[in-house]
Amino acid sequence: MTQDRPEAPELLDAVAEFLFAQVRPAVPGELRFRTLVAANLCAVVARELRAGERPLREDLELFVSLGAEGGAEDDPLALRVRAAEADLAVRLRSGELDGRLVETAVALRAHVHRKLEVARPGYDSPEAAG
Amino acid sequence: MAATAEEPPAAGVREVLAELGVAGAETAALTEIPGGASRETYAVELNRGDGGSRRFVLRRDPPGAESLVPQAGEFRLLRLAAEAGVPVPEALHLEPAGGRFGTPGMLLSFVEGQSVAPRVLRREELAGARAKLTAQWGEALARIHAIDPAASGLPEPGPDPALAQIEHWEAALDAIGEPLPAIELGLRWLRANRPEPVPPAVVHGDFRLGNFIVDERGLAAVIDWELAHLGDPAEDLAWLCIRSWRFGEDSREVGGVGDLEELLAAYESAGGPPADQDRLRYWSVFGNLKWAVICARQAHDHTSGLRRSHELASLGRRICEPEWDMLELIA
Repeated sequence: MTQDRPEAPELLDAVAEFLFAQVRPAVPGELRFRTLVAANLCAVVARELRAGERPLREDLELFVSLGAEGGAEDDPLALRVRAAEADLAVRLRSGELDGRLVETAVALRAHVHRKLEVARPGYDSPEAAG
Repeated sequence: MAATAEEPPAAGVREVLAELGVAGAETAALTEIPGGASRETYAVELNRGDGGSRRFVLRRDPPGAESLVPQAGEFRLLRLAAEAGVPVPEALHLEPAGGRFGTPGMLLSFVEGQSVAPRVLRREELAGARAKLTAQWGEALARIHAIDPAASGLPEPGPDPALAQIEHWEAALDAIGEPLPAIELGLRWLRANRPEPVPPAVVHGDFRLGNFIVDERGLAAVIDWELAHLGDPAEDLAWLCIRSWRFGEDSREVGGVGDLEELLAAYESAGGPPADQDRLRYWSVFGNLKWAVICARQAHDHTSGLRRSHELASLGRRICEPEWDMLELIA
């Protein structure tokens, strides 16, 4: 499916800018924080759309390398990642990875980093750490 | 009279205030205070007729939601905390079964001051207060932890309070049903690295910026006792220091205002048991995990339709923040 420009992230940028620059100063005080949250959510989704499939492929690869199974090869990528993530969660809960928890924690940093890139860029940079 | 769950229970509140002998009870008007994620909070304002006004606070369960500590338990704890010298709002009246408040709730005295975390951290007029908060928190925690656990009415945590907490939050995660491998890893790490159990103390459970009312003199009240339980007192110390509760002031590890040494010195000189670094690290891992699960649960409250709110929804994308801090502590 193709759509005319603006593309989806560009539209979200526009909504975020509107909420931040025009709505936020105009609403009563008790709604300002909620408006800021709405603007920020638009920015988060715009980053997620721009990131595309790369983080999904990298997460799938990571979960499989830790022993998870990712569903059928011909399933859509998003489904396979979800299946692998759920399988890894179950394996961790069962104690299967108890012998290498610290190594697994190191490996899972890459997964959490990819989530932060979308949700809160820079949170995991060394300068940001307290 | 009984109130319905959906509307602010103004008539019921007026009746209770009249029973308490408050002049002008019949003029009470309710305004919802936004921001309470798991309880509804209303400002109750009375017109005294002489141009002055008097305020109270109503806290109640949101319709349809069940709180972790029943209102009756929170009410009892507020009274015990007041006796122990912890600054808290005065607990005036309880409707444990809903009754006149529509849903289970309690009427409290109104404490003047600021509770919104970024304002506490940045408002100029509170600079003097910020300089005092770390020591006041240490002292308040020592007093909370000295409350008689048997009198608290809180359930016994079993032989190992850490295990009780792990199981509690594991069950909370299961109720959400979302796969979170980093959290599963954290749960296994917490099981494997439990510190030597200590005699259970009353733990506030949510002792952090946002749950303090602060005025120019510093800590005016500790609020939101609904996560209170019996456990390891180091849990409260570590929770106060996790990064999410610094609200951007990352270099000051105690609630964005102070340093750990000062907190521990005040805590110990007010009678709190010494807390070693390993125990604090353990409970910091736990605190980050707990905050991640709370984020997931609040996002789930939105997606499940229990409480539609984009603010709750947004917390689903904040799970990764405490996950990151937790992994940093483990590896």
